[in-house]
Amino acid sequence: MSKNLEHQFVTELENNQNIVHKVCTLYTHDRESHNDLFQEITIQLWKAYPKFRGEAKFSTWMYRVALNTAITLYRKSKKKVKTQDFDSVLFKIKAQEYDDTEEQQLKLMYNAIKELGDIEKALVFLYLEDKNYAEIAETLGISEVNARVKMNRVKNKLRTILNP
Amino acid sequence: MMDELELLKKDWQKKTASLPKLSYDEIYNMILKKSSSIVKWIFYISIAEFLFWILIGQIPVGESSTSELKNTNTLYTILEVLSYGIMLFFIVKFYLNYKKINTTDSARALMKNILKTRRTVVTYVWVSLSVFAISLVIVTAELIFYEPEFTALNEKLAAADSSLMVYALIGIIVIGCILVTGVLLWLFYRLIYGILLKRLQENYKELKKLEV
Repeated sequence: MSKNLEHQFVTELENNQNIVHKVCTLYTHDRESHNDLFQEITIQLWKAYPKFRGEAKFSTWMYRVALNTAITLYRKSKKKVKTQDFDSVLFKIKAQEYDDTEEQQLKLMYNAIKELGDIEKALVFLYLEDKNYAEIAETLGISEVNARVKMNRVKNKLRTILNP
Repeated sequence: MMDELELLKKDWQKKTASLPKLSYDEIYNMILKKSSSIVKWIFYISIAEFLFWILIGQIPVGESSTSELKNTNTLYTILEVLSYGIMLFFIVKFYLNYKKINTTDSARALMKNILKTRRTVVTYVWVSLSVFAISLVIVTAELIFYEPEFTALNEKLAAADSSLMVYALIGIIVIGCILVTGVLLWLFYRLIYGILLKRLQENYKELKKLEV
């Protein structure tokens, strides 16, 4: 593959790396596996890049490959890490930005999301990224109606986790 | 709850500042590294399995001692052609399925194709094992009924009262061996599947369940 393509790809990814980092935060529990997953997603993106013809925005195209890698291709390490790690490293909520209850609420919600299954996390992720149901359905390979149904179930599940 | 989620969405979109930031060079170095995805593992394990079972198939099962027997010879040729045909069919099928694995597919299609690729190999193993078992039964029967060393014994057996029991015993031993091998292999596959594909299968089931 040409140097030019490499340069183009790395620049695009550098500019859009937040998407990949966000996926990594949802699916891993510590810094090391975060980097590991980031690495694997980068490789998968790079492998698929020659087929990317600019028919969609680079970022839109990234969601699919990144999520597919996190859900399907990546082999999670068995190591179980406490949720505090995740709080302190990446989802640290700055106290001055919110009042206490809001901060507390967010913290609880992020923890609740971490307890969801792989597919449920993907749904929440796409929802948080402001994707519409058509896009969510397409990314996961289910119908739009079912994406809605599933999303409602996930919301209910989050509610149960938050208010046991 | 809706409000909470909206609040979360706002917060999530502001998160950017707290996320790690990699440099151009760091990302560049990443694309030079090798993937460690399960697809790669599946590919290597599958190739190893094909090689293993092809080698197993090469072990001559009492062929030399029975070469004079015409009717069984034809049977051997049929079995041999059959097992090569099966092998070729499954290798082609495996390759085509493997090629279909595409990370830009939807999650469901990707999972489906991975599972299909894996299933091809497992089916190949069971089919070739069945062919192997059938040849084993044929060879054993043949040894007992046609081999000169056994014919003498056979005559004695036929003369004895308990001949039926001895035949039954031999039959049970052969079938027993096949069953034990089968169970061991099944356990081995449970293990491989458990290690490699448990999560994938669960996720696939979850997506599939939605579509029912």
